[in-house]
Amino acid sequence: MTDTVANTPAPSEAPALPVPLRRVARSDLAARGEPFVWIMGAALVAGLAMITGFLGFVIYVGALTFWPQPIAVITTTQDKVIAGEAFRSETYKPRDEQLASVSPETRAKITADLGIVERTLYRVGNYDLFGEDFVWIPSFDVKATAFPKDMYFIERLEWGPFVGRVKELDVAGSKQPMPTLAELRAAHAAAELRRTEIEQLEKIEISEINHQIDDIRLGVRRAEIEYGPGTAGAEAAKTEAAKETAKLEAQYKVLEQKVTALRQTDDAVTVTLEAVDAQTKTLPLSRLVRFYPANDLTTEDKWSIYASRWFEFITAQPREANTEGGVLPAIVGTLTMMILLSLAVAPFGVITALYLREYAKQGVFVSFIRICVNNLAGVPSIVYGVFGLGFFCYIVGGSVDQLFFAEKLPNPTFGTGGMLWASLTLALLTVPVVIVATEEALAAVPRSMREGSLACGASKWQTIARIVLPRAAPGIMTGLILAMARGAGEVAPLMIVGVVKLAPELPIDLTAPFVHFERSFMHLGFHIYDTGFQSRNSEAGRPMVFVTTLLLISIVLMLNAFAIYVRTRLKRAYQVGQF
Amino acid sequence: MSETESAGPAQKRPVSVVYQREKKTKASVLWTDAIAKYGISIGGALVIIAVFTIMLFLVYVCLPLLDAGRLDAVKKFTLGTAGTPFLEAQMDEHQTIAVDLQPDGHIKAFHVGTGTPIAAPSYDLGGMTATTFASTLRGDDVLFGFQDGTIRTGKLNLNASVTPANQIPPSLRKLDERDATDGTDVYSKIPGQFRKTNVTTTLDAPAQIAEPGVAILKADYRLGGTAERPLKTFVTLDASGKLRLTQAYTELNMMTGEGATQITNAEIPLTANPADVTKILLNTPGDRVLVATRDGTIYRYNTRNFANPQLAETIDVEPAANVEMTALTYLNAENSIVVGGSDGSIAIWFGVDRKSKATTDGIVMTKVHADFVKQPAAIVDIRVSQRTRMFTTTDAKGNVWIRHGTTERTLLELPGTPDTSGLQATVFGPKDDGVLAIGKNGEALLWKVNIPHPETTLQSVFGKTWYEGYNEPVYVWQSTAGTDAVEPKLSLIPLIFGTFKAAIYSLMLAIPIALMAAIYTSEFLSPRTRAVVKPTMELMATLPSVVVGFVAALVLSPIVENWIAAIVIAFGVIPLTLITMSFLWQLLPQPVSNLLDGVPKLIAYFLAILAAVCASREAGPLVEATFFAGDFKKWTSGEGSAQPFLFLILIPASFALVFFATRPVYNAVYRLNLRELPKILAAARELFGWFVIFALSIGLAWGLSILLNQIGYDARGGLIDTYVQRNALVVAFAIAFAEIPIIYTISEDALNAVPSYLRSGSLACGASRWQTTSWIVLPTAASGIFSAIMIGLGRAVGETMIVVMATGNTPIMDVNIFNGLRTLSANINVELPEAVRDSTLYRTLFLCALVLFVMTFVINTIAELVRQRYRKRAAQL
Repeated sequence: MTDTVANTPAPSEAPALPVPLRRVARSDLAARGEPFVWIMGAALVAGLAMITGFLGFVIYVGALTFWPQPIAVITTTQDKVIAGEAFRSETYKPRDEQLASVSPETRAKITADLGIVERTLYRVGNYDLFGEDFVWIPSFDVKATAFPKDMYFIERLEWGPFVGRVKELDVAGSKQPMPTLAELRAAHAAAELRRTEIEQLEKIEISEINHQIDDIRLGVRRAEIEYGPGTAGAEAAKTEAAKETAKLEAQYKVLEQKVTALRQTDDAVTVTLEAVDAQTKTLPLSRLVRFYPANDLTTEDKWSIYASRWFEFITAQPREANTEGGVLPAIVGTLTMMILLSLAVAPFGVITALYLREYAKQGVFVSFIRICVNNLAGVPSIVYGVFGLGFFCYIVGGSVDQLFFAEKLPNPTFGTGGMLWASLTLALLTVPVVIVATEEALAAVPRSMREGSLACGASKWQTIARIVLPRAAPGIMTGLILAMARGAGEVAPLMIVGVVKLAPELPIDLTAPFVHFERSFMHLGFHIYDTGFQSRNSEAGRPMVFVTTLLLISIVLMLNAFAIYVRTRLKRAYQVGQF
Repeated sequence: MSETESAGPAQKRPVSVVYQREKKTKASVLWTDAIAKYGISIGGALVIIAVFTIMLFLVYVCLPLLDAGRLDAVKKFTLGTAGTPFLEAQMDEHQTIAVDLQPDGHIKAFHVGTGTPIAAPSYDLGGMTATTFASTLRGDDVLFGFQDGTIRTGKLNLNASVTPANQIPPSLRKLDERDATDGTDVYSKIPGQFRKTNVTTTLDAPAQIAEPGVAILKADYRLGGTAERPLKTFVTLDASGKLRLTQAYTELNMMTGEGATQITNAEIPLTANPADVTKILLNTPGDRVLVATRDGTIYRYNTRNFANPQLAETIDVEPAANVEMTALTYLNAENSIVVGGSDGSIAIWFGVDRKSKATTDGIVMTKVHADFVKQPAAIVDIRVSQRTRMFTTTDAKGNVWIRHGTTERTLLELPGTPDTSGLQATVFGPKDDGVLAIGKNGEALLWKVNIPHPETTLQSVFGKTWYEGYNEPVYVWQSTAGTDAVEPKLSLIPLIFGTFKAAIYSLMLAIPIALMAAIYTSEFLSPRTRAVVKPTMELMATLPSVVVGFVAALVLSPIVENWIAAIVIAFGVIPLTLITMSFLWQLLPQPVSNLLDGVPKLIAYFLAILAAVCASREAGPLVEATFFAGDFKKWTSGEGSAQPFLFLILIPASFALVFFATRPVYNAVYRLNLRELPKILAAARELFGWFVIFALSIGLAWGLSILLNQIGYDARGGLIDTYVQRNALVVAFAIAFAEIPIIYTISEDALNAVPSYLRSGSLACGASRWQTTSWIVLPTAASGIFSAIMIGLGRAVGETMIVVMATGNTPIMDVNIFNGLRTLSANINVELPEAVRDSTLYRTLFLCALVLFVMTFVINTIAELVRQRYRKRAAQL
């Protein structure tokens, strides 16, 4: 110890000082290194500001996204009229061509501001009419801004939102120009009921029949594989299947007619909308999701719209290439994956840690293994993804398909990315986290407690199961929760082993066997990537991305907070008194 | 356990004790214990093994990349064609039928594998015998040249179509286990169905090209244009020595369905003796004609201007006196030529744009690949693959070798030959999976080969490779090409470069912030504040990287783009503001500053940063206007003067210079005087001193920048160059965000592990907190901090989503901080979902993963070893 102290270099000022005869009691300002302290302190504050600023920004934008905004009707200096929600503002440098078209006074002003101008992005909607749903308006281009009370913001099933006026409501022939909000709402409620009914028929009953027909077809193939094609067994299966299929197809026809009839009634109730440039658009009322006069809302109205949007977000399927609607499949996918992941990772992680800490002979080899396990936690997640694809999907999944799902080949069942493989890949990725956490927790159990237990005659396993594990439980739980949090936030490996942009079916549903781990699934993290980067218009996807981000961050942060809570809570519960 | 069992014989116990517990351990307990022991040991060991298999598995997938290929089967059969004159042989892609075309138009078709003759339509050449013959690379467009100066074009197709099992003619002759025939069609069994293969031909009317009666000696033929408007291009050499380039348009009349053909000729000035010409080559666009003579001279004509062909270049591909050129052909894509010599040598030449004055178009045919293994006898035939850069070389002794052009590899030396006295024909199967050789003696051999990854070698993955169309050997990653004509280029070097570029730029931001924050947290914060601050910083580590990447790409990147000038100057303004503020802070009376120590001081730091950021933001446009010609982005592309920027980046260097130059004076005189002054005066003098140093360094930087500018030095072109929106700077910010908490936590732990009595000792000796930190704590914790940095590096190397989202994913090797990059991890992420299983790309991406795995594993192991050593040392202190 003394050696080390002697090794540390002597203070710098020592050689430069002519040895003073008396000690100076005053403080030496330079010795305090105030500038260095300031820079270090500022680094810390910068770090803190980064994290709080980041979280604050994401939460602020995410929380504000669903709040209804007023619709501004703007007349530009060229007398073009646009109507839309102000989306965001920024400063920019207009290009020379654009500056050439403005009046000399404006140009002089812009030059005085070093060429920097503020501009606002308006969400003008009406993609089907205008061909673009966002417009940048530079501040110098605005001649007049108004907020007329009759402007509606209308969310539709297709083509994104419509901004404009409601011109006419046509309920099966009885036309009513300029309907009031209450009339619209009443008609819309009925239309929505019809839409749900059609969806129910199409998505549940008809798809159920399709499923059954598909099952029968696969049954025939299975029989062919089993008995050989053309044999009596296969032929019997075929005739049986033909009968069944005919029955189902008859049912299908009935349902289809029902749907067609409903569709006809539904199509008769239409609404005519008028955009700000007097173009009109007539569409069935049931195609509208939500509408409100954006400039004529009370605070309660706003809150109810806000709440209904959140409700839709949590409970509905996505629409319009994921840029609208909800993220229910992504939530279900993420949660299912996390549960599967923890089911896989907990036993393996704990067993390995028990082996390393309690059973393996401690020595160079075990500490080498320990270092390696530690390192595996630092191996990039994408490497695990690559392994998952090559090993789980192609090799293991391919063999499973050969053995159990031969009738579906060459379409892969397990031989491609899916929920199970994604969870296992992430389990592999997070197993080092759990091993390390469990080992630390096991090591923290005092030796005296083990020895006490053994001395009382308990066997080694009894000691581990009843003394060591309960004491280590908080640590293990923490590790597990941290693993889940990591799993929830990982996207890169999932993109390779089974996450998709749009999963037609959930991994858990009402068709037997209820859990379908071979299915590909949606994930909140991938949803962010996909909607933000791969959609038609990244602007249109932006609100969705921010809200999804908020949701994902909340899940991850909540898990982390929970981990900390469990750690402190369980620590207290298992605190051993001093005796 | 055994101790429990040997507790003592039961009979010794006093019988009177009624409630005596049975001391014998229950069997169930023993069983459970044994099960637990073995179960856990085996399970644990298995998990560990499983985890390590990851690396082995990656290696297992990558290894076939280096495999040259293998011979699956050999089939030998007799054709009985010995002695017949012969023009050309073709084989269909499923190796079912091969055809042998003879000069009188007769086609002999036979079943590959058994040699059974198959009836096929022959060409009716009107009783004439072709004097020359040419075909396209795929072999299905053919051209005959005749004695009377005419040519005829035609098609030779080997058609394959799928037929349901129930439409098979009843009486078929079985050929082998797969194929059966009815005489003209071969039916091959494929899962669930049959594939029908047969031969069809068409022949166009003769066209008079040379003077009547002047024989066509050599020709080459290409078919271009579209199916509705085919453009036939051919080049012919007649007996009178006239070399003609001909284009024939056939326009189909929509009403009648008849074609009207327009023929245009252009004469190419030939300088060689027509008798010496051995080969003429034409490319599909018809803008290049190569005429080769026996001694190895190749005349390259530029025929881009159809009416006026020019001799662009004359090259000698076989300069050695005793070596003749015995074989010549285009590789797939018709840019490179493969030359075979009489000494068995092979070389690949292609045109490199050297802007040379020696040739009319600046392009110089260059011998690019010549490092091929020599074959034992003269090369007589070269057949090229239709989809890759592979080709087969046949020598005079009948040996057939398969080689790959770009990598100069000899993939397979096919064993055995049907005829050691030479081959009549060699056919390289259209799917690169078989080679058919027909000997002059009428014997034939079919080698079934499997060469999945001909284009990869260690050299092509990690070294420079000279690809077609490049002026020199390069490192390129370009995995997907629109057509087979462009070969995939799979060098990992640009990706490894990008990986380290992202890691290093981000570490340059993250290390200072994280380390200084850690030092401050550990040494200057009260435990209560620390208990709040540390978890908050750690919160940063839990944020999913997809979120960070998304914010970086969609929010940060436009901000950086708009405010780039402000951000550049902020790197200087923030530290300067902080230092100035610190000197001002010293002016505060001691009791006040003591009172404000702690949280208020943190707020002061924050306000200082805020002020600096606002100042940069305000000054940004002004600086841009005065220093960067009004637009920073345009400035990076080379507009405006370099001097102002040089000035900015020289400030830190000249500051350091001034600082260290003035230190001796400062320490010996100035600082000693300060001690004698009251604190407030001392602080004021310190502030003054700071301003002097600041002014000096600004002046020095300005002077130096002018000097450097005068000698012509420009910061642009290296680290600073053309601005791209998704660039390394944005990525560096984003990855730094992910790295900071990791480096911070680990180095804070390391600092915290320094025993407190070391600090106490130092403080007790009268050192200030800063002195204690810099002279006692930091050196002690140095190795722990090093390991923190290494772990941060490991994380940066493997970061995926942030890089995918915030860079343009351009695999370029450019150190420019304002340009994009592509890392190994991003590359895997972008390309693996589209890669076909077991293809070269798939395996190369596994190799990327392996490289990444090894890199991070090594980095982390170093970090871990250092950390464990440090822990041990800290515990011993």
